[in-house]
Amino acid sequence: MLRLSNFVFAMLICLLPLLVSAQQVSITGTVKDSKGTPVPAASITIQGTNQGVSASTDGSFTIMVPTANSVLVCTAVGYKEKVIPLTGNVINIILEESVSTLNDVVTTGYLRQKKSDITGAISSVRNKEFKDQPVANLAQSIQGKVAGINVTSPSGTPGAGLLVSIRGASNPLYVVDGVPMISESNSSLSTSYNTDGEEQGSGQNVSSISDINPDDIESIEILKDASSAAQYGARAANGVVLITTKRGRNGKTEFGFNSFTGLQNVSRTIPFLSSSEFVALVEDARAQDLKLYNQDPSLFGDDFDPALLTNPLPESWSTGVNTNWLDEIFRTAPISNLQLSARGGNEKTRFFISGNYFDQQGIVIENQFKRGSFRMNIDNKVSDRITIGANASFAYTRNQRSFNDNTYTGIVTNAIGASPLQPVYEDGTYSDYTAYQASWLSDNPVKSAKEITAITASYRFIGTVFAEAALLPNLRLRSSFSTDYSNLNDDQFFAAITTDAEAVGGKALKGIYRSTTWINENMVTWQPELKGASTLTALGGFSMQDTRSNQTSLVGIGFPPGSGLQTISSAASVQGRPVDEYPAYWGIASFIGRVNYAYDSRYLLSISARYDGSSRFDPEGRWGLFPAFSAGWVISKEKFFGTSKWLSSLKLRLSYGLTGDQEISDFEYRSNWTGAVYDGVSGLRPRNLGNPDLTWQRNKMLNIGTDFEIMNGKLSGSIEYFRGNRTELLTQALLPATSGFPGITSNAGNILNTGIEFSLNAYIVKNKNFTWNTSFNFTYLKNEILSLYQDGEQLSAYRDLFPTHVLKVGESVGSFIGVEYLGVNPDNGDPVFNDLNKDGIIDENDEKVLGKAIPDWFGGWTQNFQYKNWDASIVTQFSVGNKVYNLIRGTYQTLGWSDEGWDEDYNLFQVYANNAAIVNNRWRNPGDQTDIPRASLVFQNYLQNSSMFLEDASFFRFRTVSVGYTIRPKTKKVFNNLRLYAQVQNLAVLTKYYGFDPEVSSNGGDAPETAGIDYAAYPQARTITFGVNFNF
Amino acid sequence: MNNYPFIKKVFVPLLLILFVSATGCNKLLNLTSPNEVGDDDLFNSVEGLRNARVGMYNTLQARDYYGAYFPLIAEAYTDNGTTGGYDVIDLNEIAARSLTPSNIYITQSYNAIYNTIYTANKIIENIDNVPDLDEAEKRMILGEALFVRGMAHFDLLRFWGQHWDKTSPYGISIVTSTANATTAVPRSTVEVSYTQIMDDLHTAEDLITEDNGNQYISPSAVAAMLARVHLYHGDLSEAADYAISVIDNGAYSFFPTGEVGKIYTDRLTSESILELKFEAQNQSFYNAATYLRDDALRPDILFMVSSNLNDFFASRVGDTRADLVDFVNNDLSIEPDGRSQKYRGETAKDNSAFVLRLAEMYLIAAEANGRINGLSYLNDLRTIRGLEALSDEDVADDDTYLSAILDERRAELNFEGHRIFDLARTGLVDANLGEGVNPIMPIPQREVAATNGAVEQNPGY
Repeated sequence: MLRLSNFVFAMLICLLPLLVSAQQVSITGTVKDSKGTPVPAASITIQGTNQGVSASTDGSFTIMVPTANSVLVCTAVGYKEKVIPLTGNVINIILEESVSTLNDVVTTGYLRQKKSDITGAISSVRNKEFKDQPVANLAQSIQGKVAGINVTSPSGTPGAGLLVSIRGASNPLYVVDGVPMISESNSSLSTSYNTDGEEQGSGQNVSSISDINPDDIESIEILKDASSAAQYGARAANGVVLITTKRGRNGKTEFGFNSFTGLQNVSRTIPFLSSSEFVALVEDARAQDLKLYNQDPSLFGDDFDPALLTNPLPESWSTGVNTNWLDEIFRTAPISNLQLSARGGNEKTRFFISGNYFDQQGIVIENQFKRGSFRMNIDNKVSDRITIGANASFAYTRNQRSFNDNTYTGIVTNAIGASPLQPVYEDGTYSDYTAYQASWLSDNPVKSAKEITAITASYRFIGTVFAEAALLPNLRLRSSFSTDYSNLNDDQFFAAITTDAEAVGGKALKGIYRSTTWINENMVTWQPELKGASTLTALGGFSMQDTRSNQTSLVGIGFPPGSGLQTISSAASVQGRPVDEYPAYWGIASFIGRVNYAYDSRYLLSISARYDGSSRFDPEGRWGLFPAFSAGWVISKEKFFGTSKWLSSLKLRLSYGLTGDQEISDFEYRSNWTGAVYDGVSGLRPRNLGNPDLTWQRNKMLNIGTDFEIMNGKLSGSIEYFRGNRTELLTQALLPATSGFPGITSNAGNILNTGIEFSLNAYIVKNKNFTWNTSFNFTYLKNEILSLYQDGEQLSAYRDLFPTHVLKVGESVGSFIGVEYLGVNPDNGDPVFNDLNKDGIIDENDEKVLGKAIPDWFGGWTQNFQYKNWDASIVTQFSVGNKVYNLIRGTYQTLGWSDEGWDEDYNLFQVYANNAAIVNNRWRNPGDQTDIPRASLVFQNYLQNSSMFLEDASFFRFRTVSVGYTIRPKTKKVFNNLRLYAQVQNLAVLTKYYGFDPEVSSNGGDAPETAGIDYAAYPQARTITFGVNFNF
Repeated sequence: MNNYPFIKKVFVPLLLILFVSATGCNKLLNLTSPNEVGDDDLFNSVEGLRNARVGMYNTLQARDYYGAYFPLIAEAYTDNGTTGGYDVIDLNEIAARSLTPSNIYITQSYNAIYNTIYTANKIIENIDNVPDLDEAEKRMILGEALFVRGMAHFDLLRFWGQHWDKTSPYGISIVTSTANATTAVPRSTVEVSYTQIMDDLHTAEDLITEDNGNQYISPSAVAAMLARVHLYHGDLSEAADYAISVIDNGAYSFFPTGEVGKIYTDRLTSESILELKFEAQNQSFYNAATYLRDDALRPDILFMVSSNLNDFFASRVGDTRADLVDFVNNDLSIEPDGRSQKYRGETAKDNSAFVLRLAEMYLIAAEANGRINGLSYLNDLRTIRGLEALSDEDVADDDTYLSAILDERRAELNFEGHRIFDLARTGLVDANLGEGVNPIMPIPQREVAATNGAVEQNPGY
């Protein structure tokens, strides 16, 4: 395949010199605004074609036009479009300022279109809206900014994966300058382990999107409906996030220096009981039990000795220590970013280069994320007809990770519930956690943090070379060849003194992951000059993608004591089977066609189709056809509409289409046997049951929308209704065990997402000195399962945990199940649960759907202020109707329960865990009205899988608050501008949620069906930064 | 158009590119997996069949089958054991002997056993089509596959079926083919289940003639398994005959008194009839689940021996097997329970699964022969393990005798996956584990759901 692509590409290169130029007229000119300031990057195109140039930094341009009576169209962001019939060879264009966004150019895949011509559902975010955000992952910086897209941080750990859902469909396709990126977490450490090193579930995720430097991005487009996403149809079923990086401009070379530095600390914490309160809780638990025992000893069983409740607490309970464990593992951590870029060029060649260094220390001790990256984007005009170019970016990230985030042996998890009577250090070393009062711990959390190192280092190269040729003045061919190469190295080391490795004298995990994607795309665009007001763009082509990855992992045990050596080569033995796998091995071939027709920019129509083949399906079901159409009607251009001063623009849009999804494992269509060993002999064992009927998942998306502008953009917005129906869902269908397998990959099920998106942008004040701009968006989303292969399948977020979620027809994906908690009986302090089947026993038969992880409503509200040279902004974000299963609360609200932590003489050594201050509201005396039950040593007055711990996680967050001052010198000889700013990220979150943060999810984001579990995830940071943007 | 004389030169190559790419697509899309071999290609050669045979043994080693959990759950559910873990409800349920059908451990074991059956069935179905297969090898591999299928069905029957009641409709879903794998298979009656198991084992008995070591299925292993199945089924004379045939064939012998621990440290000893072998490169889960490390805490250990077993051994003065349970060197959080010492070796974690042992044959012979003829077998075992022989007066009636045998089974076979089955088949669950304790496991909820109820739930769940 590679050889073939090379051949194709080589052939194209050979063809290029054949294209000779025809007779043309050269026009030069300048573009300035009403004040006479040059407008750089203004775009000048020949009407009816997509041929054009952009103005250089001093506003000048030169364009070749086919005839002397051509008409030029000049557009620039922030200005009104201007149409200029040619009158001579030199023209000076004066643009009028405008707040209208209709002329903004939006990247829609292989084409760039004016916003006013768009008929699909696309949201666009510009660089200025997300730059300078102190976050590692670019998706985090658009949180709350775009209707229809819900970005949730499952954990506050730097570089963590995010749960990104577009209109209810998770895990969109990320495309960087035309290259579809591998975006999943590929680290072999992205799992959680128990102390034996056995995998318990998916844990902290790293996002490979963090390999992209947000500073390099010009704009982010989010393609939400089928018609827009059709260009990337083969993998666009869950929406597309299109990332366009900065490119060069002709003119003087402009340098940019962006830097910020700041401090982070934990934004919300959980208050825990002090030593004396902890002891008081245990004493209350004993006293309450004693009272109960005196009333009815039979409750306590035959073997029970009440001495347990009356013996004085052993001496170990009076250490005089009062450790706040969360303070011991959290810290105030620095963050900094340094970016230097240059962009410039001339008529022939333009370039953008940049270098970036980002360093974020985690708010949990020992945790750190670093990224260094380079980028180079070059375009060269070989001749009037031929352009060639290349994009290349390289990023190195080093993530020193927080061990077992969001699982029950992690650092934060251990700190939660640790006894305040336990010191951190003792006798010159870490205190022995087994000698203190909380049996919950699996290790001293400070020891875990310091003696277990987990580093994931990633090397990422994304690059493209392309050539574009005008075969005819209106027929262009673009051919590109791209690669996405990723190399990931995981190194985890457990020192011999940690619980995890003490039996084996130190343990090291090594993981090596390598992935290579090759993509070849060839597109022909035809834009004929039509008579009258019609315009037509037709596009056709094909693309081929091939992805292969390979993962090797090793475990070494037994390291030379005191040597400090951690490499596998110094291990006494390599334990377990070294795993060498090919997690990805697939290819896609696609044929693509699209026709856009517009009449007078009033009636807009777009029809597209693609025909995709995937190696993941049986040859019979391999190819899928995915058509889409969209139409727009610009009512405000109709004669009957007149020229309304008030409603300056009104457009109706309709789109419907299909996209395909092939996101399953490779080779699932046939039954496979994989490597196995017995008695030192290798052989093969069955891996899966093949499903030859597998085919594309087909997602049908209907979108009806309207865009409006009032008073030339003073107020603008859109309202959209969408109905996305994911049919022939690719799922792991539940099989009877008698088949030999728990499941089979199938096309089964149907999920419906319906919703409304609303966005509004208004200039409340706009005058010479002061601008106040506000934008607001919200999305209402209803996710409903219409059919399933198996109704009622229960899922667990962790491998050895009771089911936490259910997939049920009529309910939302990510629905929680459990027993309903009714509150505390005020007479005796007992928790009361809803005995659904009235059998007198509270068990799983009393479970029902308790809520869901997906919010009903979400959105954001942003304010931007500009006063003379001052600017300020406030970005907020909200989410309503989502719940979180706060499972870790089953540790810190145990109310003094002891897991038989007493000796044969009934002296109490241990209870389960220290508790959070919330238990101070517990029931103590008959008549107390509270929802926290009575303390008890013997009885568990809590139930983990009940609504007792299912909390409303709706929130309103002040995401970013910033103030800046810009200096613009009169003469630009020294520098162009200098902006200084201060910013607070995540200033405050208003929520009823009791845990660290309501934005939390157990499995690092890639499994919406088990989302919304809090097992003491790494909390979110509040970050204060000071920064500078300097352009010279 | 005349301005573009090269148009043909452009479009012809363009069409050519399209054509070439269209044909190239097939190459791009027809990939071969670097990790796996397709089902269709496996049984095309003798090598492929041998690979599948190795794979079949490997499926027996799954964590949730003989890799550890299946036998250990059968112990932790009884007075021999209890569970630890971080307050994990599913583990707590096992120790409390009050399971719910969604219990993840029960579900995973159920799935793992049927995975083994699938593998055996694949071999049985395809062996006739393997070209150039030597007849002796064919008989051997087919025999092994039938043995594995019979044993796996028997393990299902004794865990999920009312195996002690020949008239019960609550047998198991019997799978003898991989065709229509996704179709629900309703449960057979207990008697039909036994018939299928016996058929497979008896056919295996005819086919297996070689002994390749006690990590492989040998003629003695088949006989030993038949002794066990007949005992459960109540065919006492057959059970006795098979057990005695193994005892008498001379291939197996006891360690001298005091060296019983060598069974577990030396591995593949003369006391083992069928023992699944693990290596450091192919570990079992016994050590991690029962010992882990010297100062492990209760939450770290999934399956502990219960204090009840401590009391039991306290009454058996001289029993050398008492050394294989440790109630002393444990963290306070584990006390008063303890840890089994049968699966030590924290570094290599290559502990064997002891499927069939010589001692069990003595116990079967003792039980199946009855009090008068069987006592000598019981005493043989007792004396070699350091106990006094019992006299006829000591076991004056059948009940006393049965209880002596069950005690001996408890002492010998604890933490090897016998206790719950022994109590269930002798009707002593209530007496030993508490009133109302269900002698069998619930059919996993997911199985009932996946078959839309075609597989019926067990009574009591």
